[in-house]
Amino acid sequence: MLLELRAVSRRFGGLLAVSDLSMTVVSGSIHGLIGPNGAGKSTVFNLITGVLPVTSGEVRFKNERISGLRSSEICRRGIARTFQATALFREYTVLQNVLVGAHLLAAPGLAPTLFWSGTYRDRERQARERGRALLESLGLGAVGSQVAGQLPHRDQKALALAMALATGAELVILDEPLAGLTDQEKGETIAVLRRLREQGLTVLLVEHDMKAVMGVCDTVTVLDHGVRIAEGTPREIQANPAVIEAYLGAEEPGA
Amino acid sequence: MVLIALAVIVLPLLTRDSYYLDVATTILMNLTLTMSFRLQVSTGQINMAHISFMGIGAYTSALLVTRLGFSFWATLWIGAVTAALLAVPIGSVALRVSGPYYFLITFAFSEVVRLFFNNFFENLFGGPSGLVGIPKPGRLLGMTFNGKLALYWLMAVICAVVVVALVRLDYSRFGLTAGAIRQADLVVETLGVNVFRFKLTTFVVGSFVAGVAGVFFAHYRQVLHSSDFGLEPMVLLVVFTVIGGTGSVWGPVVGTILMTVASELLRELHHYEILVFGAVLILTMLFAPEGLVALPGGARRLLRKLRGRAAEPAGAGVAP
Repeated sequence: MLLELRAVSRRFGGLLAVSDLSMTVVSGSIHGLIGPNGAGKSTVFNLITGVLPVTSGEVRFKNERISGLRSSEICRRGIARTFQATALFREYTVLQNVLVGAHLLAAPGLAPTLFWSGTYRDRERQARERGRALLESLGLGAVGSQVAGQLPHRDQKALALAMALATGAELVILDEPLAGLTDQEKGETIAVLRRLREQGLTVLLVEHDMKAVMGVCDTVTVLDHGVRIAEGTPREIQANPAVIEAYLGAEEPGA
Repeated sequence: MVLIALAVIVLPLLTRDSYYLDVATTILMNLTLTMSFRLQVSTGQINMAHISFMGIGAYTSALLVTRLGFSFWATLWIGAVTAALLAVPIGSVALRVSGPYYFLITFAFSEVVRLFFNNFFENLFGGPSGLVGIPKPGRLLGMTFNGKLALYWLMAVICAVVVVALVRLDYSRFGLTAGAIRQADLVVETLGVNVFRFKLTTFVVGSFVAGVAGVFFAHYRQVLHSSDFGLEPMVLLVVFTVIGGTGSVWGPVVGTILMTVASELLRELHHYEILVFGAVLILTMLFAPEGLVALPGGARRLLRKLRGRAAEPAGAGVAP
């Protein structure tokens, strides 16, 4: 397993947002995390990526404890994420967005930068080329020099994914990657996720589109009021009476 | 850049008038300060204690030279390193908060430093009457740095090194990350950059440069008062930088040159000049919030917009 949560809890004052949650994400899989609004899904993402500290329990990645580390250190160990409200550097161009913090596109050191050395120029050129290739592979090749804040919604979503991938992460955590997309755009994004899985990447995602989740995920974990109520293949989840009662009963059961 | 470099080189050929050389030296000194201040602003920090690190460099050097007989050429480094070393613990505390809290913490610190120089160890810092009798830099490599012209060249070299280094940084991935932190620091952190350490680095580097400027200041003016590093010069530093524009690395260059010259022209107003600067700051914020350097680009955009609107057939134009 790549990622493991062991009895993780998070308390906000009197509210237990995540309670005693254990789950594992298998390497090379697409893992869905679903649940009604307020179930604690985004909180779980924040706990994994160190944006919020856990109240108790621990998060392990590649058999090492990562809870308690800074977000930047967790990213360096191989977990990158996107945010629900797509977070970009709006004043920067698309290519610049991808270059920020991109370890895959290694930055030259301080001395080469100051002295404008050959190393610096080579590194920068390589980084730009790899950044462009990455954008190309996500269908953003044509908009590399546009300002990110002016991109259409679909492209902003794709850019957020590109930024996460540029870190060289093995696990990407996507908070509602399909929200606000048309059916056709959803189909394109799902195809991208499948392709990334083929390339060996592991994906953990929160998504409200049940049809998409059941179609693309290998494993699904269901949260309700911060408690895990089910985990299994999409088929098992759809047949699970606890899920139907607590969650799917409230909405259309997806398919 | 080339134009300014040319101006710096040509100026002493045109005039040996000590007044003009003094103004030019002051511009270069201010530029060193505003550039290092803007390095921190580029990550979103308004460090109101920046001037204090200049003071720390100045007093360190002045005391080492007058009391212990150190050479200026040694204290130039020692003063700057002292400022940088003190910046580590102070930055570590202040950078735990951001926005208005950061502003207030650094402002409080700067007042502590000023009062310390003013009220404590009067036999060392000179108290309210100031620290006097600081010698000029003296000899190095067979040259004597005592006259106005030699000091001008010395400051020009220091300033050139600082400006070139900070411009290089700004145009590199370092500047890209700094601006990204200003726009969305949490995202930068989750992309694997330790934002705290990054900000602390800019704080310490900025303080080092301020320390260098402080050492030069001490031996140029030859007298130090605690008020040289108080609120008023700090406000001027902010005004210079903001009027030029903090979005571009050239903002402080434009702002510092214009405002230092303006400050000389307004010399007769004495302490009231800050009122004029306040008005200029308000006008800039209202009509050019991104600073004077952003004006040409803004004007071009406006023109294009107007032209675009004129090109549309009458009546078809819909307000955006």
